[in-house]
Amino acid sequence: MTAAGGLPELDPVIHAQARLRVVTALSTLREGDQISFPGLKDILGMTAGNLSVHLSKLEAAEYVEISKTHRGRTPVTYVALTRRGRLAFDDYMVAIRALLDTAGARPPASPDPSDPGA
Amino acid sequence: MVPPGDDEDDRALSPEETLRLIATQRAETARFLGGDPLLFYGTWGVAWVIGFGAYFLHYGLSGRAYAPISGGQALMILLVALALALAVTMYAGIRQGTQVRGPSQARGTMYGLTWFFAFFAQGVIGGHFSGMLPPAQAGLLWSCLSILVVSILFMAGAAVWNQPLMFLIGVWISAMNMIGVAAGPGWHALLVAAGVGGGFIVIGLVLRLRQRTA
Repeated sequence: MTAAGGLPELDPVIHAQARLRVVTALSTLREGDQISFPGLKDILGMTAGNLSVHLSKLEAAEYVEISKTHRGRTPVTYVALTRRGRLAFDDYMVAIRALLDTAGARPPASPDPSDPGA
Repeated sequence: MVPPGDDEDDRALSPEETLRLIATQRAETARFLGGDPLLFYGTWGVAWVIGFGAYFLHYGLSGRAYAPISGGQALMILLVALALALAVTMYAGIRQGTQVRGPSQARGTMYGLTWFFAFFAQGVIGGHFSGMLPPAQAGLLWSCLSILVVSILFMAGAAVWNQPLMFLIGVWISAMNMIGVAAGPGWHALLVAAGVGGGFIVIGLVLRLRQRTA
């Protein structure tokens, strides 16, 4: 998870604005819950086509699980993060926070040796 | 700056921008799934202010009515206000609730049924005893039983969804109820109208503002 320079690498599957929003929205669901495709589309304000493309990429990485079912006679698609997807999002959050700390906490490449907190 | 193979809307975000994007998206999702707090609290708050306000004017604080509203008229006003609030919030709730399935949905269904059974039991118990009481005491019995149900279900709902604020609201409703019962019908109606109904409107506004700034 950590590159040679000590900076964490960001998961490229998640680190794309649209997919980050998809994964964030899904991460707010409780474990075991699934959201309908139209519901997710409304939350994100994406077109169905656009959302489908991003979900396919996330599904290929095994970050989301897509299940198709029927409500009455209407087919409904439900989406949820997989365990792996949840872990990836948690790791991503850790990495982003680490990047922020690195950028904000000390001047680049010269940690202050006199800083007792360092 | 755009990494190869990435999408049209993706310029690289700074860590700060990324965290902001995540926070915004979380808030938007919560707003969508959790519903509009102002719609929920505001609607019930207005219904209680109007319904119990009518009772307050009917009873008065010292045994004399403040307005020419009969007990029957006050009951009508209260029932219509509550029925309208129920219709509005159920419509909104059903629209949101159908988007998510899984354990949360089962929880929500059982919790919703609990309200139904609790009020059904309240109707049976109240119906049994209210005929034995003078009208003002019978009215107070109905009011305090229904507020008892509401306060307990707020606390229980807080336990189900781990919502400390909701728990505190339940405690507050229960306190208003107990003080009101001890003080008499007029005070009870006033406390429920102003303390609970007014409190709901304030909470709805505060939660809405908080959502906006999140």
